[in-house]
Amino acid sequence: MSEVASDIVVAGRLRVAVHADDPLRRTALCKVVAEAGHIVVDLQDEADIVLADGSRPPEEVRNVIGLGIADDRLRGTLPREADARQIDAAIRAVAAGLIVRAPARENGFGAMRESEGHALLTPRELEVLAALAEGMTNKAIARRLEISLHTVKFHVESLFRKLGARTRTEAVVKAAERRRNEIIML
Amino acid sequence: MSFSSDVLSQLSNAISARAEAAKNAVVAVRLGEGRHLTGLVWQSGVVVVSEQALLRGDEFELVAPGGSTVAAKVAGRDASTNIAILKTTDSLSAPAFAAAEAHMGTLALAIGADGEGGASARLGVVNLVGGEWHSRRGGLIDRRIVLDIGLAHREEGGPVFDAAGGCLGMSTFGPRGQVIVIPHATLTRVVPQLIKDGHVARGWLGVALQAVAVPDALRESADQTGGMMVMSVVEGGPAAQAGIVAGDIILSVDGISAHRFRKIARYFGGDSIGRKADVRLIRGGAVITVQTTIAERRAA
Repeated sequence: MSEVASDIVVAGRLRVAVHADDPLRRTALCKVVAEAGHIVVDLQDEADIVLADGSRPPEEVRNVIGLGIADDRLRGTLPREADARQIDAAIRAVAAGLIVRAPARENGFGAMRESEGHALLTPRELEVLAALAEGMTNKAIARRLEISLHTVKFHVESLFRKLGARTRTEAVVKAAERRRNEIIML
Repeated sequence: MSFSSDVLSQLSNAISARAEAAKNAVVAVRLGEGRHLTGLVWQSGVVVVSEQALLRGDEFELVAPGGSTVAAKVAGRDASTNIAILKTTDSLSAPAFAAAEAHMGTLALAIGADGEGGASARLGVVNLVGGEWHSRRGGLIDRRIVLDIGLAHREEGGPVFDAAGGCLGMSTFGPRGQVIVIPHATLTRVVPQLIKDGHVARGWLGVALQAVAVPDALRESADQTGGMMVMSVVEGGPAAQAGIVAGDIILSVDGISAHRFRKIARYFGGDSIGRKADVRLIRGGAVITVQTTIAERRAA
């Protein structure tokens, strides 16, 4: 591991494969990786790091950073709620041959949380969010949803406010986190 | 002062005796690569473990008290209460322990398996005790019990005892590394169901729901601010049979607001199976009510 690590220019761009069961989450993580200056590659391709959300890719022998995976064998483990800065730091650290751990296990057996009505997203905001996750521009969103550009901007601002996000990527990431608490199977 | 009358020595000896007695209550569940977690020997041939800590798989090797190796099969899992059970192929005798109620501030002794047939002990106090609560997966936990104890991952799933040697329940990790107890009462309620069916019976409509805000224009007629939007409908399920489609926003089930997850989780307990329920929902801008018959959730 360390011999390999010494060959890598850690400050540079790294090849990162993203594995996530939830497609929306995968899209969000790919954006985080790309915006941190790394190259997103397919799982089959050569990669310096495999970023895995929720479950570990079976028989993966490369350096895996797990999000929300309680497995001490992984080179990197982060809580599911890890932000873009932490994910980038973990990618660089594990590529440099270090082991990354969050301070405590964040995802223990916990209580159900209920969201207050005012903080919930409206059905329309969810549609706008799905479009944001695909990387669509406001103009493209307006065309798809057949609403005015002004209305799209209004929804995007409302999304930012409700999610406490400052950028579109942050909104998509935060919404994916919230979905885990807001989706139930009945 | 003689040795035997020294209070601290007596306390230490008493704790050591309790820990020694608890050895027979734990097994190590091997996870591979030298790792293990702890199982609580619940009854003869039945081991209870923390569901969240148990890897996917059907068969595990256990290290029984004394160090012999025993094969075991996963006989049931319930993520909603964090309880899984393993049945051993060879006999494994269970020590008898009385159930005990947790009280804030009392001593608690958590026992883990050392992986070689022995035990490890952790001592602390019961940090807090509260009423029943619902887990993220909707399971009902009879008491909130938090311990002031640090636990290694390999010790998760072992029994927790009070000063009198009564069993409070099974240790597990809560959020942020907090050590909590799945109460004895919850184990007593859930384990027999898992032994019998391999899962816990729950009511089911066959829908995936996402919490949404009710659009402003419909707030008045809906008379509530939040609802659950139907993201998908399971073909042939009760909701599908009642004509519920993706995009509907469910407001309430038999008068219970749908975004009140805890109340909904309680309503959809095992006793709800077969019940007729009125589902109030928004479809195409109007509030309508459809009747469904709750079915039993299919095994996951």
